[in-house]
Amino acid sequence: MKFTLKYFYFITLSLLMLSCSDDDSVDKDDQKPTISINYSDGFPQACEQLVKGQTYTFKAKVTDNKALASYSLDIHNNFDQHTHDDQGEVCDLDPIKEAINPLIFMENYSIEGELTTYEINISITIPNDIDTGDYHCSYSVTDTTGWQSNTSIDIKIIE
Amino acid sequence: MLQKTLSILLCFSLYTLTFAQNTFQIKGFVADANSLQPIEGANIISNNLYAITSSEGVFTIKNIAKKTYTFTVSCIGYKSKTFTVNATPKMEAITVYLTESATELNEIEVQGKTKKRELQESPTVSYVVSEEFLNKNRENSLMQTLSKIPGVSTISIGSGQSKPVIRGLGFNRVVVVQNGIKHEAQQWGSDHGLEIDQYGIENIQIIKGAASLLYGSDAIAGVVDIQPTKTPLKNSFNGEVNLLGESNNDLLGISAGIQSRKDSWFYRGRLTYRDYGDYKVPTDKINYENYIFELDDNNLRNTAGKEANASFSIGYISDNIKSETFLSNVNAKNGFFANAHGLEVRSSTIDYDSSNRDIDYPYHTVNHFKVTNNTSIILNNHTLHLDLGFQNNHREEHSEPSAHGYMPKPTNTKEREFDKNTYALNIRDAFSPNNQHDIVAGINVEFQNNNIGGWGFLIPKYNRFTIGAFAYDQFEINSNLHFLAGIRYDYGVLNTKSYFDWYQSKVDNSDGSTSNVYLQRAQNKTLDFGNISASMGLSYLQNNTTYKINVGKSFRMPLSNELASDGVNYHMYRFEKGNLNLDPEESYQLDIDIDHTTELFSIGVSPFVNFFENYIYLNPTSNYYETLQIYEYTQSKVFRMGGEFRASSTITKNLQLNLSAEYVYSNQTNGAKEGFTLPFSPPLSGLFTINYQLKDFYFLNKPQLSASYKIAASQSEIVPPEEKTDGYQVLNMSLVTEMDLIKNNAPVAMRIKLNNVFNTKYFDHTSFYRLIDVPEAGRNLSISLTIPF
Repeated sequence: MKFTLKYFYFITLSLLMLSCSDDDSVDKDDQKPTISINYSDGFPQACEQLVKGQTYTFKAKVTDNKALASYSLDIHNNFDQHTHDDQGEVCDLDPIKEAINPLIFMENYSIEGELTTYEINISITIPNDIDTGDYHCSYSVTDTTGWQSNTSIDIKIIE
Repeated sequence: MLQKTLSILLCFSLYTLTFAQNTFQIKGFVADANSLQPIEGANIISNNLYAITSSEGVFTIKNIAKKTYTFTVSCIGYKSKTFTVNATPKMEAITVYLTESATELNEIEVQGKTKKRELQESPTVSYVVSEEFLNKNRENSLMQTLSKIPGVSTISIGSGQSKPVIRGLGFNRVVVVQNGIKHEAQQWGSDHGLEIDQYGIENIQIIKGAASLLYGSDAIAGVVDIQPTKTPLKNSFNGEVNLLGESNNDLLGISAGIQSRKDSWFYRGRLTYRDYGDYKVPTDKINYENYIFELDDNNLRNTAGKEANASFSIGYISDNIKSETFLSNVNAKNGFFANAHGLEVRSSTIDYDSSNRDIDYPYHTVNHFKVTNNTSIILNNHTLHLDLGFQNNHREEHSEPSAHGYMPKPTNTKEREFDKNTYALNIRDAFSPNNQHDIVAGINVEFQNNNIGGWGFLIPKYNRFTIGAFAYDQFEINSNLHFLAGIRYDYGVLNTKSYFDWYQSKVDNSDGSTSNVYLQRAQNKTLDFGNISASMGLSYLQNNTTYKINVGKSFRMPLSNELASDGVNYHMYRFEKGNLNLDPEESYQLDIDIDHTTELFSIGVSPFVNFFENYIYLNPTSNYYETLQIYEYTQSKVFRMGGEFRASSTITKNLQLNLSAEYVYSNQTNGAKEGFTLPFSPPLSGLFTINYQLKDFYFLNKPQLSASYKIAASQSEIVPPEEKTDGYQVLNMSLVTEMDLIKNNAPVAMRIKLNNVFNTKYFDHTSFYRLIDVPEAGRNLSISLTIPF
């Protein structure tokens, strides 16, 4: 009997310990934002070929359950084929080569007004003096909580 | 340590060798009736016959006549027991279980206290891990072995490396001590383990709670104290060879150790070599974000590794002095999962699948050299302890060079290099002015010098000097009630060195133009910190129940990376920013431990409540730097609570059941992530173990079959960038047995283990690879042999 009582006492104590821990007073955001180029205006699409000197509008749709905060666009060369896209398509890559004057585009932007949907819209003119070849284009987006999502696309810059 | 040595010597003083002309022999085994662990140094005495048990609890009485004998088995701290045997040609081995004497042996005074009794009396909530436990549960790394202890878990990367986590806190919040000296590797980094050889370790003490008082800064969440091994017995020479083979990662391991002592001088040595291939996971592809990595034959590519360790020590022991100098070197090379090391997805032209044993990029090499000296001198009622240590930790990380942002493609593969020297000195005086007080006072001094190299920048070069002084008193109010109180002050100076990028970045000027500059990533700064730690506790022993309560304040000095980081962590694909204004972390913790142990069952609970005034946390912000998300070191208040529950019962002499459960709740109560938990929070989990002692079977002696079933709940308490992790259940089984392969020699111990019996695919929330959706290792059969000589 003594044993049972003690046992009961310990179980109760540990249950108490566990039970009082489930109240979360703050409404937590545990969802990442989303990012997509899979719609008719989304740009660039996988394996897209961009021509030097031309101006393009980079577009992607971002959403969040609470409030979007910032996004970024990074275009860097993939001459050494160190990376690949997540679009599920396999693009034909040029032979591996050394970079001489590659295009480096790295810009950050903020989304004001605690929006839950937004369309990224960046106009870029491809310079004439850069190396042609395989490039990698990645979009990133954050929400106000600090959750982030990325998407990456393989593209090619041609003469 | 002294008491232990003395009691072994006492046990031994009765020992004499006798010879007779007859041919029979009696073999037996003496164990603790409660823990079933072997008792070393127990006397087995009959009229003219004596024997003493080995460290495995085994004794042999050779050359006896064919008649009936009555033996008395005794050892200090245990009730004596008598057994009678008929010496016949075919005798079974005798097993004797001794129960601990409930009453203290007053006539032997302090020396008569068992290690267990000492621990019960100490108000510090701690847990002792024996060599037996380590041998029985040995996994691929020391911390994986220890993670079976409730409240202890690991952050592991791959199959061979893991670092300690106590009640959900790890990295620099847990101190690892070896031979009295704080082990200084690169605890702050997430992608490497502890550089300690897990063989040849006899005793580990784990403190789950604030322990700055004794161990200084960093011991804010707990301590893993790897204690010096016992001094070998006089005029002894022994050794062992451990062989290990594993099926999952094709591991082959060998470790050989010897130890010897003449009269006053003793030495020990050990060599360990392990080589393993890629480990297998129960899936053929890994889905990480939108990427799919196909695995070849379930091999997690490029996770092979090898490890070579050597250690040697020489010591001197006399009545008043004991000194041991210990040299060790641990060297390892480990590959990292090739498709995504950290968060960034990489493709490569390397043919990773051509062999599962090659180590390609990315990999790291690490070498940890250590020399320590531990000296204790007894002067009247003072015992002076001196620990001196030097450590060098050299780590290099190599990966395929590639351009990142404005950084052009580097010309070599050395991404990071850290070379850290640590010099430590501890002086401690234990003083007992009378039977009631045990006063300990001491000083710890440490100097650290860290150098960096490679093309990636993460933490700056720095020098750090810390000094701390402490005193505490354990006061015996009566033999069952003990009170402990102590205070400590630490002072530290950190001197960071400036660092400039080796390449130019494009920066926008205020006038709208752009210029190319070598960006400064760290500054020359001198920062100093001072803080008080304190602790107070009570222990009360009532028959078979021990009650402990302990309240403590601990602190931790900010690290150089927390203060001065300013760079891209390419693995994690983020920009990490330090904060020079961080204060030392301060934590208050209340620990309770209640343990009830009788011959047939044992039950215990150890709850805790913990409050951090200013927990340092790498907070993912919503901002970008050069298109990478900025993670900033910030401080927030954190409330934590939880605890462990354990129960074990001896159903019959052969059947033992164990049950343990652990839970931690953490909540950031202010700051940017208010309401969120802390990173790497372990989920609620339980471990159910059955041990069954089988009958001897042909050449297998004392075979013991164990099954352990781990149940972990899902973890939905997460913080960016973590993912929620589902619950899981996993079954491990093992068979431990002894074999008398070589006549008149101690038996060969064999352990056969089958981990993840059902090849279950599950995710461990606290694994480094969890972030990239890599499941835990699949089924693994391991066979280990320990051959003593």
